[in-house]
Amino acid sequence: MDFFQGLVDRIKKTFTGAPPVTASAIRQKFERFKKVLHCNQSALEIIADMGEKLSGDYLFDRHYIETTLDELSETVLKCVHNLNALCDNRYTELYEVYDNIHDRLFQILKGRQDRQGPPVILLNEITKAEYPVIGGKALHLAKIINDLELSVPDGFVVTTRAYHDVIAYNRLVSKVDRLEGFLACPHADAVEIEKVRRELQQAISSIKPPPQLLEDIGEAVNRIEDQVGKRTRFAVRSSAQEEDMDFSFAGQFDSVLNVEPGPEDIFSAYKTVIASLFSKHVIEYRRTVLEGEGQMSIAALCQIMVDARSSGVLYTTDPLDPASDDMVVVANWGQGEAVVDGKMPTDSFRISKKDGVKVIEEKIVRKREGLYLSSKGGLEKRPIPEDLQDKPCLSGEQLLELGRMGIKLENYFKHPQDVEWAVGVRNRVLVLQSRALLVTETQVIERSLLNLDDKYEVISSGEGRTAQQGIGYGPVKIVRNIQDFRDVPEGAVLVSPRDMSLFVQIMKKVSAIVTEVGTPVSHMSTICRELCVPCLVNVKGILSKVHDGMEVTVDAEERKIYKGKVRELLVYRSCQQMNVFESGDFRLLRRLLREVSRLNLVDPLIEDFSIDKCETYHDILRFIHEKAVKELIDLGKDQNRLLKGLITKRLDLPIPAGILCVDLGGGISMDAPEDHCEFKHIESIPFKALLHGMMTPGVWHTDIMEVGFRDVVTSMINAPTDALDGQYSGHNIAIITKEYVNLSLRFGYHFNIVDAYCSDVPRDNHVYFRFLGGATDIIKRSRRARLIGEILRTYDLNVKMKGDVVTARITNIHRKDLEWVLEILGRLIGFTRQLDVHMESDDAIQHYLYAFLRGDYEVARR
Amino acid sequence: MADESDALQRAVIIDDEPIVGRRLKQVLGKMGFHVEVFTDPLSALEFMKENPFDIVITDFKMEEMDGMEVLRRAKQMNPDSKVIIITGYAKPETAKEAFKNGVFDFMVKPFRLSELKESVLRAAKNGASG
Repeated sequence: MDFFQGLVDRIKKTFTGAPPVTASAIRQKFERFKKVLHCNQSALEIIADMGEKLSGDYLFDRHYIETTLDELSETVLKCVHNLNALCDNRYTELYEVYDNIHDRLFQILKGRQDRQGPPVILLNEITKAEYPVIGGKALHLAKIINDLELSVPDGFVVTTRAYHDVIAYNRLVSKVDRLEGFLACPHADAVEIEKVRRELQQAISSIKPPPQLLEDIGEAVNRIEDQVGKRTRFAVRSSAQEEDMDFSFAGQFDSVLNVEPGPEDIFSAYKTVIASLFSKHVIEYRRTVLEGEGQMSIAALCQIMVDARSSGVLYTTDPLDPASDDMVVVANWGQGEAVVDGKMPTDSFRISKKDGVKVIEEKIVRKREGLYLSSKGGLEKRPIPEDLQDKPCLSGEQLLELGRMGIKLENYFKHPQDVEWAVGVRNRVLVLQSRALLVTETQVIERSLLNLDDKYEVISSGEGRTAQQGIGYGPVKIVRNIQDFRDVPEGAVLVSPRDMSLFVQIMKKVSAIVTEVGTPVSHMSTICRELCVPCLVNVKGILSKVHDGMEVTVDAEERKIYKGKVRELLVYRSCQQMNVFESGDFRLLRRLLREVSRLNLVDPLIEDFSIDKCETYHDILRFIHEKAVKELIDLGKDQNRLLKGLITKRLDLPIPAGILCVDLGGGISMDAPEDHCEFKHIESIPFKALLHGMMTPGVWHTDIMEVGFRDVVTSMINAPTDALDGQYSGHNIAIITKEYVNLSLRFGYHFNIVDAYCSDVPRDNHVYFRFLGGATDIIKRSRRARLIGEILRTYDLNVKMKGDVVTARITNIHRKDLEWVLEILGRLIGFTRQLDVHMESDDAIQHYLYAFLRGDYEVARR
Repeated sequence: MADESDALQRAVIIDDEPIVGRRLKQVLGKMGFHVEVFTDPLSALEFMKENPFDIVITDFKMEEMDGMEVLRRAKQMNPDSKVIIITGYAKPETAKEAFKNGVFDFMVKPFRLSELKESVLRAAKNGASG
C-alpha cells in the first residue's frame, strides 16, 4: 500500500486550483439527488404493481386503472421536477415530453386509441403498434404470421382508424355517438336503439370514401399483386374490435368473397362489411355479450381469394371430449363456406396429437357438389367430377400438416382453436382464421374439480406465485440455459431454476412455465401475460420433484402441479367461455402499461439517449436516473472537492482499484475514520458483494498490476491526466447507500459502470453493467467485449454487444442471487482488466470463457 | 371447499361491471359453488326473493342501489346468509357501517382472488357450522 499511497499524494500535489465549493451547496445537491432516486423508485414500483395486476390473480376495476394512472403520472411529474432542481433546470424539455405521453395515455383511457395509426396496412407489415387498429380477426392472423410463420393468404387491413375517418367524413359521428351512448347503458330503450341502428345501416350503404382512402387501398392492392406476381381477387371480411377475442361473433358480420381488385370494388365490399356492424343481429348479440360496453369500431381484412382445392374447419380439441388427445377435421372440395354453413355433406377425420400426429379415423362421404370461384365474382355451386366424389378431399400428408399446424396454434394461443383453412392450388395448407374453440360449460365440470387431490398425485401444492393464470399439461422439460432451448418439445411444461426473459423464444410452444425462483413482476412474467402462458414462479424444490419427460398438469390458478394428465382440468380449460385476459379492463390496462413501461432508452452508449427519444414514462425515468447519477459523478470528478472529505471517503483495498466513495446513507459504517474507509466498513449490500468479487484471490493479477503500475508512471508523463490507471483520480467513484451502488471505474482506456439496487424485495432489485473501450486495436477490444458478454450470458444476464461496448442487465431477482451476480461481476471486472492484449484470435474467447467458468482466474498469466 | 354433499352452496354475485361478475362466476364455479350473476341489484333481489341463497358477493357503488342496501335486504331475507361487499372506493366509515349491518367481509379492489376465495371458504364453513 505504501507505493500506492505515495502515488495518491503525488496526484494530489499535481492537481490544485479548482474553485472551492461550500459544504452546504454540496449537501443540498445530495438531498436533491436522493429525492430523485427515491421518487424514481416510487414510480417504478407503481409500474411493477400495475404489471402484477395483469396476472389474472387479481380483481381490479376501471377505478383502479384510473387512480393508479393518475398516481403514476403525478409521481413521474415529480421526478421531472426533482431532476430539474438537481441540475439547475437543464432538462426543462422533459416537461413537453411528459405532456405528450400523458395526453396519449389519457386518449387510451378514453378508449380512443383505435383512431390513431395508418388507415391501411399490409398484413405482413403489422407490428404491435398497429394491434389496436386492426380488429380481432386480423390480430390473430398477424400473430400467426409474426410468431408462428404459418402460411396465411397475403392481404391488407383497412383499419379502425379508416372506419373513424369514414364516419367523420360522411358526417355520421353524432348518430354513432348516440347509438354508442344507448349501448353503454344496459337499460336503454330497445325501440330507440333500433331506430338509430337502422338509420346508420342505411346511411352506410351510400357513404363516400374520404380523400386518399381509395389511393391507399389501390397502393396496397398493387403491392400485394407485385408480391404474388399476378392479378388477383380479394376476400373482404370483417375484423371487429372484439371479434374472436372475448366473444367469437362467429358468422355475425358479412363477408364479400371473390372481389375485383379495383379500389372502388373493394370499397364497395368494405361498405357491406362495415354496415353489418349496425345490423340488427350484431347489435343484439353485442347487447347480450358486451353488456354496457358502448364503443365499437370495425376494421376490414382484405386477403387474396384462395382458389381452394379443398377447405374446411379444424378443431384442435374434440369439443365433445375435450380431455382426449384428438383433433377433428371437417372438409369438402372447393370453398369452405360449404362446410361452415353446414349445408353440404362433408368428410370428417380424427387426428391424434399424442406422440406426434397420426390420422386415426376417416369418414368419407359422397360429395356431389362444391363451391367455387365464379368468374362473375362471388361463389357458385359446381358438380364435383365423378372420380373425386367418393375420394377423401385431403391427402394423408395434408392431414398431417393440418395436425401439426393445429398443435402449433393450440400451444401458441394456450386454448383449443377453431381453425378455418384452405388448400390452395399448389397444395399448400393455408390458415384463413383461428379463434378460440368454445365448448359448452356445465355444472358437471365444476363439480368434477372438487376432489382432484384424492384422484391424482400432487407434486406441489400452494407453493410459489402466479405470474399468469391458466392450465397447462405436457411433458416436463428442464431448462437450465439457452443451450437447452433446442430440445424443448411442442407442448412441454418448461421447468427452470429461475426466470429468464429469453424464454420468449420458446414460449409459443410450451404449455406452461414453472420456475424455482422468480417473481410475478419480472420481464419473463410480463411476457407470459402477453402470450397467456400459464406460469408459476418461485415454486420451491420443484426441480428435485420432476424430471425430463415426466407428464404433469399445472394449475396456475390454484398453484398446484399434478403428476400425469388431469382430464378434469383440461376439460375445464376448454370450457372457459370467457378469456378474462381479453376483457375490456385487461386490454385497457395492458395497452396502457405497454405505453408506460416499454423501455426505448436502454443504454446511453448503444442507443440514441436523448430527451426526444423518450416515448414512455419508463424512458423518462431511465433518462432521469442516468442524468442524476451523471450530475453527481461530475460533481465528484473534481478531486479537489472530493479529497476535502466533504462528501467522499477514500476506499483503501488490498487491490489498487482507487475508488472514492460517496455515501448517501447507510453505505459505510459509522466507525470508519473521517477521510477513508476499508472493506470492513462497507455496509452497502451490493457494493460489498461487488468488492468481494473484485478481491477474490487470483482475480486481480498482482504481477500484471506491476506492469500496470509502470504504465501508470509512464502515463503520468505521457498520457492526459484523466487517463490514469486505478488511482484516486476522481474517475473511480462509488455512490452508495445501504441498498444501492453506482460504481464508475476507469482503468486506462476502458470503463466499467455498475448500477445496482439490492434489497429483500426482488422486484425492486436490478443490476445494470456497462463495459466499454480498451487500449488495444478494435478487433482485440471487441473480442474482450464478446468474452465479457458470453460470460454474463451464462449467468442469465440480458446482454447487448456492439463493437467494444457491452451492456448487461438483470432485474427482479432475489437478494442472494443478486449478490452472487455482483460477486461474479466483481471477478469479471478484475479478470478481464487487461485481457484485451491476450485476445489474439476468436479462439481466445472460448479459452478464457471456460477458464473463467472453471474459476481459473490466473490463466492469463500462463 | 364447498359442501361435498349434493346441495351446492348457492352464491349470488352482483356487480354492475359485467366482467367482474363473469370473473367471479369462474372462480366460485371452480370452487364448486352454484353461481347466479346479476349486473343490477334489483333483479338480484327479485331472484333472491324466489330462490334460496347462502352467499352474496356485491359491489358497493351501483346506480340503482348501493351494496349497503343489498346487505340489509339480504340479511332480512336470510339472516344466516353471508354477505361480502367488494368496493373500489374504500372509506373507513363505510366499512364500519357495513360491519355494523352484519357484513361478513369487506374487500377493497384491487385484491387477489385468493383472498376472496379464502373469505368465501370461511363464509361457507361458518355457514355450515352455524
